[in-house]
Amino acid sequence: METLNSSDLIRDDEIFLRMNPAERIQHFLLILTFTILIVTGLPLIFYELKIFKTLMSFERAFYIRGVLHRIAAMILIVNIIWHFFYTIFTKRGRSNFKEMIPKFKDVRDAWDLFWHNVGLTQLLYKKGVLKTFFEKHPYWLFEKEPEFGRYNFIEKFEYLAVAWGSFVMIISGFFMWNVELSLRLFPLWVHDIFVIIHGYEAMLAFLAIIIWHMYNVHLNPEVFPMSKIWLNGKISGHELRTLHPLEYRKILEERKRILESESL
Amino acid sequence: MSLLAAPAAASTISPASNDDCLTCHSDSSLKSSAGKPLFVDQDKFKASVHGQAEIACIDCHADLKKVKDFPHPEKLQPVNCGACHEKDAAQVKASIHGQPQEGQIPITVTCRDCHGTHEIRGKDDPESLIFPINLPTTCEACHLERVKTKRGRSFIEMYNQSAHYKALEKAGLTLSANCANCHDGHNIRSVSDPQSLVSRKNIIRTCGVCHVGIRMGYLEGVHGKDYVKGSQDVPVCTDCHSEHNIQSPEDLSSPVYATKVAGVCSRCHDDERLARQYGFLTSRLKTFSSSYHGTASKFGETRAANCASCHGFHDIRVSIDPKSPINPNNLAKTCGKCHAGAGKNFAKGKIHVVSEKTENKWAYFAKIFYIVVIAVLISVFLIFIAADLYHRLRIRWKH
Repeated sequence: METLNSSDLIRDDEIFLRMNPAERIQHFLLILTFTILIVTGLPLIFYELKIFKTLMSFERAFYIRGVLHRIAAMILIVNIIWHFFYTIFTKRGRSNFKEMIPKFKDVRDAWDLFWHNVGLTQLLYKKGVLKTFFEKHPYWLFEKEPEFGRYNFIEKFEYLAVAWGSFVMIISGFFMWNVELSLRLFPLWVHDIFVIIHGYEAMLAFLAIIIWHMYNVHLNPEVFPMSKIWLNGKISGHELRTLHPLEYRKILEERKRILESESL
Repeated sequence: MSLLAAPAAASTISPASNDDCLTCHSDSSLKSSAGKPLFVDQDKFKASVHGQAEIACIDCHADLKKVKDFPHPEKLQPVNCGACHEKDAAQVKASIHGQPQEGQIPITVTCRDCHGTHEIRGKDDPESLIFPINLPTTCEACHLERVKTKRGRSFIEMYNQSAHYKALEKAGLTLSANCANCHDGHNIRSVSDPQSLVSRKNIIRTCGVCHVGIRMGYLEGVHGKDYVKGSQDVPVCTDCHSEHNIQSPEDLSSPVYATKVAGVCSRCHDDERLARQYGFLTSRLKTFSSSYHGTASKFGETRAANCASCHGFHDIRVSIDPKSPINPNNLAKTCGKCHAGAGKNFAKGKIHVVSEKTENKWAYFAKIFYIVVIAVLISVFLIFIAADLYHRLRIRWKH
């Protein structure tokens, strides 16, 4: 399935930096705070579950739960502020952000990859169904896997989901934390909406991470048991060529240009 | 029989004086033929309420008045306290203690069982068997071991754990309720007897003897108003506070401890039959539990609001009552007890929302929106993952 051949300019075992230390710490803080927030928040939604009753049977457990939830929220907010300034004020941050902006290509990538994986049209073609149609429009065969840049549609979606989710959770959570302030500003029924949104957005984020992110970075046979990028930040030339071919090409062309300008 | 056979040493014309009696009965080794001690402690008798009043032996042992020859026959009539204590004796006779009890050994409780005999003291004397501090021990003499009621004998053990007994025992607070304060001393009756002080008909008045303010509050509230009308459904004191084992609401074992109140109220307020009859809403526990207050309460957080925090307790009123803490005009104040500074906005919404569809349509919309988004998104994730795994398997099959 490798569409790109390896080049002399980029060895397959060459190491590229995909996540620098700052990005790794930001990601680690996100994991830490997200986990604490989920664990300390779920008992409020699944208050009937026995496990929470057992875990929280000691005195002041509920109070401590609340304090931990708020501490984690504060760390998450600080982390987001750091990430915000990092994105604006560093060259790498700005370049990453540009790569992260969703484009129409991402929608098409998702579509193409899905039908490529399903392989239904190729099967039909092989059986001789709609032969003339497929010969006329080979796109519908989805023969080629879409080529991704530095961030594929999966990663872009996750990033945007975290951004949107954090925004919703911080706003609603702020007013739940400061219920007196909230009720000075809004009627009770608006405050109730904050509570409902906070709970359901949490469920959404939790399920998205458990199913989507865990599959893509852990259970996916390509990376199983775990992609180590979040720990060492390293990606090999080979991985770059197979997983992010557009970025690979970009680096390749850059090196070619440098080589040419040197030879001049 | 040996006493009868003994020659009459002294025969007197006038009735026997106490000294005459004590000629024999001051002998501490004096026993009846059945081995029952017949010794009378002079000092104790003189200190007793009857001794103080200079009542003679023969005033109580009245059949001795006619006896001329002493020693007198061994078998005497039982002392009839009712000869003087007419009213009290009549009460006891009508009470549960006056009736022979069902069971293997029919027991009829007599005066002496509770009051003692020669050493009887005034009821305000700390030495008295019925002095508040001593009374539980006196009742326990039978009720802890010998007497079994339908509900077993554990209730007196339960009383010994109660706030009432602790105050009595630890602090010597004689105003605290002992057995007789609730059950009366002489007029003790079964709880099912309407004349009993602890019957449903009388319990409010009985507890209200000490808890006057609470009784007044209760009678002003919805429960009290229906109680006066004779409703059998409204709770009385004991329905929420339990009976013998009454604890301070601050005590973890109290049924009205902060985190347990919801369970007590919902016994009736989640009851379909009562809800239909009285036209109130059910699912009170469910809707409370799903709120932050309820969840916190469930996990043992005592500072979280429970039913009583908002509705009051003894004088619970309907929300349209201007005095009700949950009247829309009072909500700012009621909620403000915990949420300082929260104003009138508290009234602009619903608590205990069962269906947001009718109560808060925007909240309902937000909920439906999220449920749809979650369902769609998770389905898409799973379909994508399935397609990816299928593709990988296909490649593996090819090779």
